[in-house]
Amino acid sequence: MATLALARALNLGLRRALESDPRVVIMGEDVGKLGGVFRVTDGLQRDFGEDRVMDTPLAESGIVGTAIGMALRGLRPICEIQFDGFVFPAYDQIVNQLAKLHYRSRGTLTVPLVIRIPFGGGIGAVEHHSESPEALFAHIPGLKVVACGNAADAYTMIQQAVACDDPVIFFEPKRRYWERAEVDTDAPLDQAFPLTAARVVREGRDVTLLAYGPSVKLALDAAAAAAEEGREIEVIDVRSLSPLDFHTISSSVSRTGRCVVVHEAPVFLGFGAELAARITESCFYRLEAPVLRVGGFSIPYPPSRLEEHYLPDVDKILDAVDRTFSY
Amino acid sequence: MAVITYRQALHDTLRAELLRDPNVFLMGEEIGVFEGSYKITAGLLAEFGPERVRDTPISEEGFVGAAIGAAMLGLRPVVEIMTINFSILAMDQIVNHAAKIHAMFGGQCAVPMVIRTPGGGGQQLAATHSQNLEVWYAHVPGLKVVTPATPADAKGLLAASIRDDDPVMFIENLALYNTKGEVPEGDYVTEIGTANVMKEGEDITIVSYSRMAAVALDVARRLEEDEGIRAEVVDLRSLRPLDRTTVVESVRKTGKAVVIEEDWLSYGVGAEIAATIQEGAFDYLDAPVRRVAAAEVPLPYAKPLELAALPDATALVKVIHETLDATRFRG
Repeated sequence: MATLALARALNLGLRRALESDPRVVIMGEDVGKLGGVFRVTDGLQRDFGEDRVMDTPLAESGIVGTAIGMALRGLRPICEIQFDGFVFPAYDQIVNQLAKLHYRSRGTLTVPLVIRIPFGGGIGAVEHHSESPEALFAHIPGLKVVACGNAADAYTMIQQAVACDDPVIFFEPKRRYWERAEVDTDAPLDQAFPLTAARVVREGRDVTLLAYGPSVKLALDAAAAAAEEGREIEVIDVRSLSPLDFHTISSSVSRTGRCVVVHEAPVFLGFGAELAARITESCFYRLEAPVLRVGGFSIPYPPSRLEEHYLPDVDKILDAVDRTFSY
Repeated sequence: MAVITYRQALHDTLRAELLRDPNVFLMGEEIGVFEGSYKITAGLLAEFGPERVRDTPISEEGFVGAAIGAAMLGLRPVVEIMTINFSILAMDQIVNHAAKIHAMFGGQCAVPMVIRTPGGGGQQLAATHSQNLEVWYAHVPGLKVVTPATPADAKGLLAASIRDDDPVMFIENLALYNTKGEVPEGDYVTEIGTANVMKEGEDITIVSYSRMAAVALDVARRLEEDEGIRAEVVDLRSLRPLDRTTVVESVRKTGKAVVIEEDWLSYGVGAEIAATIQEGAFDYLDAPVRRVAAAEVPLPYAKPLELAALPDATALVKVIHETLDATRFRG
């Protein structure tokens, strides 16, 4: 066991991936010499060389397009998109090529490519650097979309994503990069918790709270605060937005009868909409209250002085929890 | 009122807006000399000249970016992107620039532009040319997204979009271009953000938009004639802003709702509609809100497979029956 910051755990996970499979390569803006703007790839070019950890020009469409070609020819590239808002120039490559090649070649081709994207706000950055575009990717058939929420998952999930034969969009909670947790670096990967499974991270019987990425810690904080008032919140770290481990979620909501979803992305047409729709359909006769959503406002991401008002917080979550008890 | 096609309604409205406001101009691939891939801009180059009807290179990011600049400086560009699939190449310009500029500059500068683009499948154009990507744009604060289903709304919403000071994604549908309907004459503007109750009914609400709204209306009429089921059909017309009030009031009346959309199910428009309904009409719902949508695969080229992947009237009727049966509506 080691106590690692989330960024460090990713770094170690990437190192393991590079060590265990010579086909694995890393590419992106400033990932090599600089070690990444968040230091996630720190030291990897030094130890594995410029052929395996490659600095690229500032051209996201080019990075992803090149990586798709490399993956088709047998490599297992990991691309870093420096900030969430920078992914849009690569959209065409991701949506029209990456997501569709396996299907369009009737399974002949696989594209084992991981695209790492630091996402979300809370670090005093502005729009383009604090976005949460995950629902857009989750809508596209052919992509796996996952988000890690703590250092232990970061270490394991990045290695599982690299080992996966499907393209994986790997969202990293940038405001949690510096938060530390115990990581079992000796645990065998093939016995790890599955990449696309949701995990109950705190049990409770009164209401189910769904979160992923940076919001998981917030959800746990809210559950701790609620417990002091005698209310037991069950917290599920969804981890995989596509495919969705809906069984774990519906089992919980069928028991509690109440559900709140929290994410940083705007509420409208966000992850919470899909969850509210599915839960209403599947757990209709068990629900005591509508599924409520806590998320960003319907505005572009605000300047840093205002972001604490924009982002979900413990009070907003507890307010939604209270409202589910008013039905 | 004249009965004209959806295509004609778009063409006539573009012409009327070019005549009305000298700041309005058109740009896009093949819209001038070739008169548009779907002939929406037929005759406009000849009438208004190359200053106001501009053929562009095949470079969506370039001409959308140019249009944003023109809009920031006071013009009112109406951009045609040949299909919504090609708008992906301009995604950065649309999402990171057009949508955000008004807020980023503290309201000092508006971006009054329209991007007209058709989506939809069913034309055997295969996986990368048959998508419905409006849900992405509707998720993005700062944009407006409208999706006319009828020739009248094509006219009223296009006029409203061109006169709106925000960037508007104006989503057409390939299969609607030849459909006909009554269109009011003269200056006719439909307020963006208002849904339209296409048909009233008390038994169940069908919510839809664009081509599937037309399918929903046909199904509702047939069910009333054949089975006496009185379905209410709500055409959203605008996805962002969304007219929650009309949707929720309808479901509070009927107690049951089905959403049909041409797009993939997961994280689609129907998700938000179902979420909105359960938030706004929870105590009125007699059955779960059901969604009818496309199979979650890249749309196949082969006709039988394409038809199998797309939602249709049969799928909608089945889900309506299941929803009514869940409440023992039919005894």
